[in-house]
Parts: sequence; structure tokens; C-alpha cells
Amino acid sequence: MLVLARRALILTLVTVLNSSTAFGAGAKLTQEYDLKATFLFHFAQFVEWPAETLPDKAPFTIGIIGNDPFGKSLDEIVANETIEGHKLVIRRFQNLGQIDSCQILFIAPSEGKRLDQLLSHLDRRSVLTVGDSRDFALRSGIIGFVISDKRLRLVINLAAANAAKLTISSKLLRQSEIVGPAPVRE
Amino acid sequence: MTTLKRILLAEDNENDVELTMTALAENNLANEVVVVRDGAEAWEFLCHEGAFASRNGGNPAVVLLDLKMPKVDGLELLRRMREDQRFRTVPVVVLTSSREESDIVQSYRLGVNAFVVKPVAFEEFMQAVRNLGLFWAVLNEPPPDKQQSPSLA
Amino acid sequence: MKAPRTTIRNKLVKAMMLTSTTVLLLMGVVFVAHDIVSFRRFLVEALVTRANILAANSTAALAFRNLEDATQVLDALKADPRMIAAGLYDERGHLFATYPPGAPSGGVPAESGPTGHRFDKSDLIVSQPVAEEGRRVGAIYLKSDLLELDDRVRVDVMVVLLAVLGSIGVAFALSTWLQRRIALPVLDLAKVVQSVSDDKDYSIRSKAVGDDEVGVLAEAFDEMLQEIQTRDKEIRLLNADLERRVVARTAEFEAANKELEAFSYSVSHDLRAPLRHIDGFVELLTKHASSTLDEKGRRHLATISGAARKMGALIDDLLAFSRMGRAEMRKTSVNLASLAEEVVQDLKVDAKDRRVDWKFGPLPTVHGDPAMLRLVFQNLFSNAIKYSGPRGAARIEVDAQPQNGEIVVSVRDNGVGFDPTYAHKLFGVFQRLHGPTEFEGTGIGLANVRRIVSRHGGRTWAEGAIGQGATFYFSLPK
Repeated sequence: MLVLARRALILTLVTVLNSSTAFGAGAKLTQEYDLKATFLFHFAQFVEWPAETLPDKAPFTIGIIGNDPFGKSLDEIVANETIEGHKLVIRRFQNLGQIDSCQILFIAPSEGKRLDQLLSHLDRRSVLTVGDSRDFALRSGIIGFVISDKRLRLVINLAAANAAKLTISSKLLRQSEIVGPAPVRE
Repeated sequence: MTTLKRILLAEDNENDVELTMTALAENNLANEVVVVRDGAEAWEFLCHEGAFASRNGGNPAVVLLDLKMPKVDGLELLRRMREDQRFRTVPVVVLTSSREESDIVQSYRLGVNAFVVKPVAFEEFMQAVRNLGLFWAVLNEPPPDKQQSPSLA
Repeated sequence: MKAPRTTIRNKLVKAMMLTSTTVLLLMGVVFVAHDIVSFRRFLVEALVTRANILAANSTAALAFRNLEDATQVLDALKADPRMIAAGLYDERGHLFATYPPGAPSGGVPAESGPTGHRFDKSDLIVSQPVAEEGRRVGAIYLKSDLLELDDRVRVDVMVVLLAVLGSIGVAFALSTWLQRRIALPVLDLAKVVQSVSDDKDYSIRSKAVGDDEVGVLAEAFDEMLQEIQTRDKEIRLLNADLERRVVARTAEFEAANKELEAFSYSVSHDLRAPLRHIDGFVELLTKHASSTLDEKGRRHLATISGAARKMGALIDDLLAFSRMGRAEMRKTSVNLASLAEEVVQDLKVDAKDRRVDWKFGPLPTVHGDPAMLRLVFQNLFSNAIKYSGPRGAARIEVDAQPQNGEIVVSVRDNGVGFDPTYAHKLFGVFQRLHGPTEFEGTGIGLANVRRIVSRHGGRTWAEGAIGQGATFYFSLPK
């Protein structure tokens, strides 16, 4: 409970600080990415990775590739948290080769050009790819953040999730818009 | 007019007879005294029966009656007399020693005319007899005798 | 025996009814209370469960800030008319979604409260955390009304009341039937007691059989009756015996009385006659032989006469005395004052040449035989006069004093008095303390007085001294 309270407090502070120190779009943006950071963390709870991709005692990795828009928020959220006994770590990647074990990968908008490349590289690896647009999901990213009606929505490409052998909880699916080509299954 | 009338004395005790007769004699009343010894004799006299069958005269002017007599005693005689039409009106004076209330009551109930107790003292006895005799045999008018004057019946 | 104000039957029935009704009511209360408690618990559990279910469903909505989804999840509550309001709170505890949507903030608090449940007036409020895989993402708040509980309580109470009413009827019937087992023996016994008391028939027995105290009572009662019967018989026998004895005694008395009567009659007649003869013939002799008699001779003859007369007087007195003893007492209220007056008047005739000063104190009215009491006064007054003869003027005081529940009458004279040594002889028959030459008399007067007074239930006594007069007392009960 204390952890929760601390996190809540931090969030509040962050929000307040952010909103007090940066007026206008800057503040909003920070807020947006704080929320996205939270979502990223929550994805870990509503998605199941295959057991062989996450052995015991291995850390649960949330990676960011590209320009990190989260700042400190993601680190703070996951600090001292565990997902089913796996310690949460944040890693920032610059290029693909650096990506080894990673459960969630946030692909920053800056990597827009390399997106297909990235996605095909990660194809069949159990990595939950998260992007910042609807288009991301359409292009076989698994989850895309969408801002609509001042709300942060999720767009999920279920086929991509299935291809990545990831099971997304129906609870999460319910929140989201499901997109993607009809799943091509062999 | 002082005609001597007959007195019938019924007394069983000789001494008492003598005393009574003496007292009557003292007062010149003894002439016409008939003495009977008991109630039966008295009845015979009254009825002109037995020894007195041929006597003359009617009823005595008074009967001096002692109570305690043999055969027929005083009260019995009195009763008979009062029950008999002929003698019902004959004056009877009980002259006796006792003052027993029962005797007095019974006597009056049977219709006695007077009850006199004989005093012990002779002087008084004399006085009593004198009074009796003078009254009953001299002064008093006896009831008319039916036997003597049958036409008046 | 008076009729009872209530009956054992009523008491027993009332007792049983009271017991059963109280017990039923108690049970009813316990049942209803228990039901309320357990139903509340059930309601809480149900609501908590529902909260948890909804919480589980809303983890994602909360995690991903999906208001629509969260609202939709809560909207499922409309299926239950008992739900008043619900709220989902984010991880910061701020209200995120409500049911009904857009519900006024009064229904649901703005901040999530502590986990748990509470009863708020007529509502039940449950607050549970929303957690995904152990990690809290928010909280859920549910408020439900308790109409279900109210209805249930109402039904419970009605059921209990009906049951109690029905049971009262059954209890009444049962107790009416059961009380007989207790009451009947008692009633029977009471009936027996009543009939024994009314008819005084001690041969009745209760013939009761019982294994309880009533049976013991009935047995004891029978024993007691046996005792009473026996005693009663004894008493009757004794009474009968007593009666017989009394009758026998009375017969004896009456026989004795008759004998006495015959005796006195005989005396009256037969004793007097010879005396008369003695006196009579002495007189005649005196007259007859007066010439040949000298003084001495005449004196002798006089003595004989005197003796005969004396004997006659004695006989008269004795007869009177005896008659006084046998005569029936006719008791009535006697005014002693007026009686004394009369006696004094009578005596005045006899003692006309004597000067007598009479002093009377207040004489009350007493209960007695007037003729006999007259005789008492006659005797006492004439004695007083007689024995004051030598004194010239006689002074006689008559007084009466109440003393210890009696009236004591005193007759005091200033006569010659008597020697107190012989006081006890005064009232004896034919007892005299003075010779006939001094005072005439037979000595029977005071004996008569004593006889009469004791027949009235009183006592006689005298005080005096030689030459100082005498006082004669007699008492009569009040």
C-alpha cells in the first residue's frame, strides 16, 4: 500500500510540477507521456509472454528505442516494481542489434522511417511493440497509442500479437480498438 | 233467729274428736254435731245409707272435714260431694293439721269453701273452732236442701 | 367453606400459557435477531463479492483510464434495483466513473475510503480495492439499500407472530388437557374435604391415589379422618354415658325430692296432731282439775303446754326451711330498695310499739327470686329489731356496696351484738347464741337466709361484738 501511495504521490507531484513548471503544450506533453508510461507498465499486467521467453529470475525489460519521450517518469513508475516476480528494468536502445531480451518495446516516433525494418526484425520474437499512432498498429505494431477526444486510446493489432505469441487479456482488448488485416494463419 | 244447724264432723283421731267437741261444746254448738270416722261413713250419712239409713234431716249446714282419714280420705269425699248434685252446694270446711300447699290447692280446686289449719296451741284452737261454728252453723245461711223440700226443686 | 376465588385449573393453565408464550416470544426474538445478523452478513458478503467481481472486471478500464469501459462495467449494476450508487476510483483515489453515470456527487464520495463495509443509516456501503495481479489500480465503492433486509425482517416478524399465536392456541389446548392430571386429584380431595365438612360424616375417605405430594396429602387426610372418626365415636360414647349418668342422677334427685316432699307432708300432718292433743288436753286438764291443782301443779302443766307449742313452732320452721330448699327459684329483676321498704312496712305492724330508726343506703336492682329475697330481709330486719330490744330505740342501717363483681348488702343494728368467737355457728340450723329467755326464736331464721342466699350464688357472714351491735352481710352476684 505504501508503494502505491508513494507512486500516486509521485505521479501527482510530477503532474503538478509538470503543470506548474511548463505551461502550455509542454506540460500537456509531459502529462501525455506520463500516462503512456503508466500504460506501458500496465501492459505488463494485461499481457502474457510465453514462459520460455521470460525465464525465472530474468528481469522484465521495457525498452525504448529512439528518442526517449518519457524522461524520468517511466523509471520512476517501475522503480522497485516486479511483474510476477520479475524485476522491472528500463533499457534504452539506439539500434536493433542492442535488443536482446525485451518484453515491451516502445518505438519512438523518431523511428518512423525504420519502423517496418524494426517490426520485421522483431517478427516472431515475443516483444510487445508499442507505438505512438494508429498507423503503428496498422503497420503490424501491436499496440498503438491514439489521442482521441482528449483521451488516450489504444489500438491493438491482434494478428501481430498472435504472431508474437503474446496473449493479450480480454480486459485490455475491451478497452481498445482492434485493427489489422485479417489474421493470416497457416 | 238462731236455729242450730247440723254439723257433720269427719275426723278419725279420737283425741282430735274430743278436743273439737269440747271446743264446740264450750260454745254451745255441740248439740247438732254428727261425728263420722272416715269418708265412707260420711258418705253413708249424706246419702242416708247404712247406719244412717233412717236418720232424719237433710244435708248438714257444714261439713268439718279432716283430710287424713282411712278408707275414703277427705279429698276423695270432697270430690264425691262436689260431683253429686245433691251435695254439691253443701259447705265444706277442711280442718286439718297440715298447711301443705298441695293440700290447699287441691282442696280449693275441688271446691272447698274454707281451709283451716288446726293450731297446736289449744287456746287458738278453741278460738278457731268457735269462729267456725258461729259462722257456719249459726250465721251462715246454708243452701236450701232439695231433699227437705222437694216441691221447691 | 367458602368458594375459591380462582381455580387450580386456571392457575395451572395460566402458568403453562405464560411459560410457553414467553419461551416462544423469546425464541422468536432470538430467531429474528439471528436472522437479521446473518442476513446482514450475507448482504455484506454478497455486496463485497459483487464489488470484487466488478473490480476484477474494471482493472483494465482503470489501468487504461477508459471511462466508457469503466462506466459500462458499473452499469451492470442496474440489474439490481437495490443498488443506489457505485463509484470507481483511480490509483490516486479520485473518483473516475460512477453509477448511475453522472450521479450527483452526494451519492458517491469523491475520494475512495478505506477498504471494508459499513452500514450507513439504511444503506450498506462497501469499498474494495481494484487490483490486477496483486497490484492496486484503484478502488470500487458500492452503495446498496437495505430494503431486502427490511422485507425479510418484516416477514420474519410476521412468521414469528403467527407461529406464536398458533402456538398459544396449541399451548392452551395442551395445558387445558395437562392441568387435569394435576388438578383433578386436588379437586377430588377438595370435594371430599368439603363433603366431610358439610355433612360432618367422618367415614368418608378420599381414596386418592397419587405418586406426588397430593397423594401424600390425601393419605394423610385419610389418616386424619380415621383419627377424627375414632375420637368422634369415643366422644359420642362418652357423651351418651354422661347423658345416662345425668339422667340417672336427675332421677335420683327427683326421687330424693319426692321423698322429701312426702316426708315433709307426713311431718306436717302427723307430727303436729299429737302436739295439738298434748296442748289441748293439758288445757282441758287444767280446767278440769283447776280446783285440785296447786301453783306448782299448774306450772308443770304450763311447761308441758309450752313444750308442745315450742315443738310445733320448730316443726313449722323446719318445714318452711325444707320447703325453701326445694322450692323452684323464679328469678327476675328485684328492686331491693322497694322490697326492703315493703318488709319494713310489714314489720311495723308487728313492732308497732317499738321505735326503730331506719337508715337506707342506695339499694340496687338484682336478679333473684323475690319471695325468697323477701324472706331474707324479713329475717334479717326482724332479727335486728329483736336483738335491739333492750336498747330502747333501735337504729338499723341497711346498705349495699359493689365489690369484686358482687353486690354486698349489710344490715347493721345497734343491738346486743354477739360473741364473735361463735360467729361461725350463727347461720347453722337451730343454732342460737342467745337463750330463749333472752330472745325468742327457733334459730332457723339465719339458716334460711344462708340457704336462700347460697341458692342465689352468694355468701353470708356477720360481724359483731358483745354489746356493740351486729352487722349481717350477704352477697349476690351482679
